[in-house]
Amino acid sequence: MQKLVQEIKSIFANHDDFFIQEEHFKQTAIFLIGFNTMIDFTHSNLYIRQMAKMSASVNELFTNLSDQLDVDLEQIIKAILDGKLVLLSECNRNALLVPISRKLSRSIDEPKNESIIQGPLNAFGEDIDINLGMIRKWLGTERLCHCSHQIGQLTKRRISMLYIKGKAPIALIEKVDRLLKQIESDIVTIDDLNKHFGQHKFNPISYLFSTEIPIQAIDSLKKNRVVLFLDNYPCALVFPHLFLDMLTTVNDRNFPIGLSLLIRALRGLGALATLILPALYVALTSVNPDVLKIDLALFISKSREGIPLTPIVETLTMVVLVDLIIEAILRLPKSVGPTITMVGGIILGQAMVDAKLVSNLLVIVVTAMLIANSSVVGVQNSLYIRALKYPILILASVYGILGLFTGLTFVCIYLASLTSCDIAYMTFRIEGKGDTI
Amino acid sequence: MKINSYVRIIVALISLILLSGCWDIKEIDKRNFPLIIGISKENKEEYKVSLHIPTSEKGGKMSRTVSQKGTNVSSILGQLRTNIEDAVYYKQVRLIIIQNKLANDKEDLSELIKFLMKSKELPSIALIAITEENIEKMFSNINGKHFSHTTSIIDYFYKGADWAPEISTTRIWEVYRSLFSYTKDIAIPVVNSGKDTILNYEGAAILKNGKITEKINPSENQFVILFKNHNANGIIENLGNASIMVTNSSLKIKPSMLTSEPIVSSNLSLKIDILERKEGVTNDQIQSKLEKQFKKQFYDMLDKAQKNKTDIFGFGQHFRNQIPFHELKNWREEYYPNLKVNFQVHVIIE
Repeated sequence: MQKLVQEIKSIFANHDDFFIQEEHFKQTAIFLIGFNTMIDFTHSNLYIRQMAKMSASVNELFTNLSDQLDVDLEQIIKAILDGKLVLLSECNRNALLVPISRKLSRSIDEPKNESIIQGPLNAFGEDIDINLGMIRKWLGTERLCHCSHQIGQLTKRRISMLYIKGKAPIALIEKVDRLLKQIESDIVTIDDLNKHFGQHKFNPISYLFSTEIPIQAIDSLKKNRVVLFLDNYPCALVFPHLFLDMLTTVNDRNFPIGLSLLIRALRGLGALATLILPALYVALTSVNPDVLKIDLALFISKSREGIPLTPIVETLTMVVLVDLIIEAILRLPKSVGPTITMVGGIILGQAMVDAKLVSNLLVIVVTAMLIANSSVVGVQNSLYIRALKYPILILASVYGILGLFTGLTFVCIYLASLTSCDIAYMTFRIEGKGDTI
Repeated sequence: MKINSYVRIIVALISLILLSGCWDIKEIDKRNFPLIIGISKENKEEYKVSLHIPTSEKGGKMSRTVSQKGTNVSSILGQLRTNIEDAVYYKQVRLIIIQNKLANDKEDLSELIKFLMKSKELPSIALIAITEENIEKMFSNINGKHFSHTTSIIDYFYKGADWAPEISTTRIWEVYRSLFSYTKDIAIPVVNSGKDTILNYEGAAILKNGKITEKINPSENQFVILFKNHNANGIIENLGNASIMVTNSSLKIKPSMLTSEPIVSSNLSLKIDILERKEGVTNDQIQSKLEKQFKKQFYDMLDKAQKNKTDIFGFGQHFRNQIPFHELKNWREEYYPNLKVNFQVHVIIE
């Protein structure tokens, strides 16, 4: 017996938070083994003592405490790593006990990155079981299928795949299942997962749409898609990611149909405005002023009076600065953020115009673009739309209005060419395989 | 191999920027947009071209005038481009004013119209007008008015049909077309600088194959426009004991040919609003007086036009499919003097 204890001890020799506590029960020594960073030892010990009082023998105690008895060394080591309490007795018996653990995950919270108007406020957290539980609770049907994978080389990470049987296409389910099984390396980020799903290195559009909101995930399930959960990742990953995710959320439908259509049209307009506005400014001020109505041309000409920078340099400066500000605000601590934003806003808006570095009109255009950009759903979507405006801007500065439309056409062609698992990105809805169970 | 292809793409993109010529693009504030071009003839050989260019200075003058003399218009436009500080783009020209002396000369005028039409720089949709004054004086009069802004002269012509039914807006391509047309003559507005307003509308000059045959006054011109647009909205008519405004109108023209004698029956129905009337004047009186007055005005004009052999109403257009093509060139000489028009007016008081 001592041999087994010594072996475990030597495996965890480099762990200072590892403990082996010796207890005596009816003249038999029992070893309690585990990590004290994961186990609330005092309370767990108290619980075992209370159980011991009620049990007649060591054997009885073990059966009372746990149903995982007499397992091999490998399983013991895994159980220790998972934060379980292992009991070893002198007479070669062991038990894996689910102890009173330290609180290492947060409870159900409100969504942080997606704001909800009129809708349930629960958001996914880091604990995968809680996330799955939420889905189970809200979608109480036996057709909801769940299959779980352990993936990774160094650490095994849990990935759960959810789908509704009879809705999601079988080909899709099988393909995702196969892809997940093939993964051998560690999955740390969404991008790692994307790579395994076959994403090209320079493709800015993720194959997975992450959402924090349970009803959004449930809605995706109902629309014949597959939802993945990664442990310690507080989002559901909807596969495949479609273009319409940028324009619609399930919460829109809490409004009357007319209003929800209006909201969605505005989001589309916002995406388009982000792509077009800066390019249009450059095209109209430098290459094709002759398409303007004369009053407008004179007005623009007046607003650009005395500005030394060329429109493209001017616009690039402003657009890059604005993107920098957004990036900076995300990184800054919440207490400093507003101050920096305010100062930055004043300097960019007022001082740059007063110093005649950029024109009034450009400030208006860039602000409009920035606000329009924020109207689309999902942070990753607004980010890639922001990235796609640069090629259009460059083309517009070279070829004017013609370049703008060429750029826009190329963006459309590119988006239309994207597929994930043979489902086009521009698809409006995924055909289910029919409503058979 | 893979790196190689990226390098190729980058080189292609860089050369795209270099080859496209975007380094010598002129920004909008480095361009000049002349809005009005005035063309006059000083003596037999010499043309004078004046440009009316809006400036974007804050305060001070809103526009400036630049003039140049030379032997022909295209070379003057080229010289102006050389002499003006910024790049000059003639694409935004909205109005071309031709001085009376030049307009009266048939050959010079047709040559000028042909040039204006064929020049790639000048837009063929620019309006055309004739003035009896010195063009530079006219431009300085526009600048001198404290209420005028850069585009007020454009606004003057683009008021819209209902607001100024007398002003005809004639474009270069229409004048060019009328140079070669057998069946239609065209009216060009005549303007002079006004005392209190930037321009004063004097009526229209009727152009027949590039030659000015007669001048008509504004109230006559509204008839010409009525037959051109089939619409007389906004006309205000003084009947002596009442005055009315036309609120809605429709004109139907039906041409017919009786053994080489063309007959047109045209029905004009008007909806009118009575603006003011003297005591005791009944609706019936107004109706019959208006009908009579419209008919009289029309027949007076038609008589005059038929004597001049100038088809100002464009009746010939309606017979183009009834007269053989080789005969069409005789429209003005043979058919038009014999034209009978049965003009009916129906007035409805709202």
